[in-house]
Amino acid sequence: MKKHIFTMVALVLLGGVLAAAPRDTYVYMQSAVFDSLDPVQAYDGASIGVIENIYETLYSFKRDVPGAYEPTLATSYEVKDGGRTYVYHLRKGVQFHSGNPMTCRDVEYSIERILVTMPGDSGAWFYGDALTGYGNDALTEAKKKLGDSATQAETDRFLDAYWQKIEDSVVCDDLYTVRFNLAGPDVAFFAKMLFTAAGVVDSKWAIAHGAWSGTKADWKDWIGVDLRTGYLHNHASGTGPYRLVKWDDKNIVAKAFDGYWGKAPAIKNVLVQAVEEEATRLEALRRGDADRVDVNDWATVNAKVRQMAGVKVWSDPAWSPAGAHVVFFNFNVQGENNPYIGSGKLDGNGIPRDFFSDINVRKAFAYCLDQDAIYNDIYEGNAAWYTMALPPTWPGYDPDIPIRKLDLDKAEEFFKKAWGGQVWKKGFRVTITHNAGNTVRQAVAEMLKANIESINPRFKIDVVPLQWSDYLKAARAKSLPVWPLGWGADYADPDNFIHPFYHSEGSLAKRQNFKNPEFDKLIEYARTLVRPDQQDERFAIYRKIGRMAYDVLPNVPYPRQSPFIVTRDNLQGVYYNSMVSGDFYWKDISKK
Amino acid sequence: MFNYIARRLLQIPVVLFVLSLVIMGLMQLLSPQQRAAAFVTSDKQIEHLDQIIEKYHLDEGFLVQYRLWASEVLRGNLGFSRISKEPVLTTVRKRFPASMELALAAFVPIVLVGVWLGTQAATHRDSFLDQALRVMAIVGWSLPTFVVAIWLVAWVYGGLGWFGIGRLPSSLLIELAGGDFRRYTGLFTIDGLLNGRLDIAAEALKRLVLPAAALVIVVSAGIMRVMRSSMLDELGKDYVRTARAKGLPEKTVVYKHARRNALIPVITMAGPMLGRMIGGIVVIELIFNFPGLGEWAAKAALQLDVTTLLAFVMLIGLIMATANLLVDVAYVIVDPRIRYE
Repeated sequence: MKKHIFTMVALVLLGGVLAAAPRDTYVYMQSAVFDSLDPVQAYDGASIGVIENIYETLYSFKRDVPGAYEPTLATSYEVKDGGRTYVYHLRKGVQFHSGNPMTCRDVEYSIERILVTMPGDSGAWFYGDALTGYGNDALTEAKKKLGDSATQAETDRFLDAYWQKIEDSVVCDDLYTVRFNLAGPDVAFFAKMLFTAAGVVDSKWAIAHGAWSGTKADWKDWIGVDLRTGYLHNHASGTGPYRLVKWDDKNIVAKAFDGYWGKAPAIKNVLVQAVEEEATRLEALRRGDADRVDVNDWATVNAKVRQMAGVKVWSDPAWSPAGAHVVFFNFNVQGENNPYIGSGKLDGNGIPRDFFSDINVRKAFAYCLDQDAIYNDIYEGNAAWYTMALPPTWPGYDPDIPIRKLDLDKAEEFFKKAWGGQVWKKGFRVTITHNAGNTVRQAVAEMLKANIESINPRFKIDVVPLQWSDYLKAARAKSLPVWPLGWGADYADPDNFIHPFYHSEGSLAKRQNFKNPEFDKLIEYARTLVRPDQQDERFAIYRKIGRMAYDVLPNVPYPRQSPFIVTRDNLQGVYYNSMVSGDFYWKDISKK
Repeated sequence: MFNYIARRLLQIPVVLFVLSLVIMGLMQLLSPQQRAAAFVTSDKQIEHLDQIIEKYHLDEGFLVQYRLWASEVLRGNLGFSRISKEPVLTTVRKRFPASMELALAAFVPIVLVGVWLGTQAATHRDSFLDQALRVMAIVGWSLPTFVVAIWLVAWVYGGLGWFGIGRLPSSLLIELAGGDFRRYTGLFTIDGLLNGRLDIAAEALKRLVLPAAALVIVVSAGIMRVMRSSMLDELGKDYVRTARAKGLPEKTVVYKHARRNALIPVITMAGPMLGRMIGGIVVIELIFNFPGLGEWAAKAALQLDVTTLLAFVMLIGLIMATANLLVDVAYVIVDPRIRYE
């Protein structure tokens, strides 16, 4: 017994024998926790960063070439019927982690499973939009269309019709040819099929473990189901280069799949850990207990990470984030007794609900936003400029659109014009909200406050951090008057930004009650340009929208932090692809 | 005595019921949209908020929600945790051992260190040692737990390269994920020994040192101060003077007689100490990457995961009620004059 105790104490004191991960093992400590490993359910970066290495889509993003794709589970595809039909030819000889062979049936099952379940808190909506024309699950759509007083017979008829649309939307022409019949032309359908929700699931394995049977028999039992309660939530059988070994709370362990159809990866073992405390992640990186860690911002990189031995910071000015940050204006603030608009009148103690409908107010606010300070001070020069709400390297982006920089004289000029001079004379009070804990948005709000209040002592700005729960309530109620927010891409098509930000039915534009028929007409027309030879025209329309947005100013884009990756310096093959949730695929890296 | 214990045990379900009412009741002060925060993690899901609210009955009245929850609890189902994305009972089973291992690793040192230092301070009253220990106690009690924890992570783990974070190193986590390691207790120190894997037991022990040290620093300080006061009080009493006059060795006077009586106020402190320890464990688990119940509860509080919060509060209520009962029983052991009817 004493000998065992002595041995243990010696092992404890000897310390770092087991510290650094071996050459064939990759340890990544990230800041966020995992939500679900079910490809249909997952809508968060942390989960998707794992899923994209375990499941594969028909096409996938090509390493570090922005906008480029490569055949993966499909070897070719065709677009027919004016963009209403997509036909993919599948790769033969592909095996799932379970050993089952992949065929068209699995692709059909995987996509139909999205359309059957349509979890409200997932990315399923854009598959529904494209394939069945419904953005919600069957029961929700039934309620919307038929109302609360619908009879069971009416509901059943609706559900039968909904099911028929699902069945018709994905068809196997043969064992290795899948056909998608869209509800209408969708310019972004190809891009949508690269999102992990379209990852091909082993249907036989899934059904054997209690998932939806793939038939009409039990589809109603799965409508709107939270897939976090299902087997695929924490088990997986995909075709990817890695197979899931275990998801144990904050740790996910994966191993290289011996039967992978592609090149065998150099990294054989992967451990992804959710470690929320940044200080802990940094020390683990320093010690070599982690090969890669998430770091919050460039300030930390420059102050702490660069001083660490054995650590590398990967970055490139050409890297561009797949998102956009803007300050939104609400054209018609809603909500009774709204605390964010004070008195609700232009009397120096509040603002009227349509305060921001005056272009002069919006311009004045825009000229009070110090874009250079955001770029140089907050991001220490490591940021991308934004002329419009679209990632700078994406097609349709116009870099020549001017950016309104800080100009208090111009701001004063526009404040004096606003509302026939009443704003200047009477003053106003408004609340700028931001997500609590988001220091960049807090800084943007504080900056606006300081600059606006400096122009006229009758201008009062309150900056209020909102907890996530309060933000949800306010955003849903459209009661926020002005707020900074970011948007990350769901799929790699500019429509994923242009529509939400600029179309009156876009999810973000709706929240700010922004309606402009000219914008709507252009965006809807752009959505009909589905052929490859029409893409230049489509992107030209988006550039035009960007220029119109400069004049109409529904929102003010501001710089966004440039991406960087922090790893131990023995990691090789690291690259950055803005549409890959984990920035790069595990199969492409190795260790010296 | 047994009647007393039985009565106290019967009070526990009542306490838990009241706690559940209070938590559920407080949550009703929030709107359904606010309570949906646990179900909606991204801005993009806001469009489906109504669907989510209806699905999880977030807009139902207090009685309906409580009834739904209580009926599931009576069936042994504590609900689904939005934080851990699995049933609450599954999470408790998984995470309880981590918290227990940490608590056990810290508890004994906390008591021993606090009692011993308090005794030293009292027996060397007004000396340099006494002054130094008193300053240490004030500093330790005043320091926020997260500050101590971050210091230890940065200076000892990161700077000196000693010990580790998390429950096990990555290589063992990977090995255990696919291997045959049997978890008898969930405590890696013990399960490592039971599996014949001294390396696992040693690594688990190594990773307990710093988080336990953080808890010892902040929690034992309070015990030390109370122990010192209590010892001084006892050392000034007649029976101690008599014992010395009789020629008993000083060590016998202090450790066999005075200290035993001085422990009574320390035992009284057990409740607040346990509370501080639980609070400390929440922070410790976050910073040292220990996937325990405290960390789970902290996230549940931030994201308003009612189901998780209810389960956690009930568990803590159970622990505190049991601890208080054990404290009362301990009184009887320490001081035979105390009797319960």
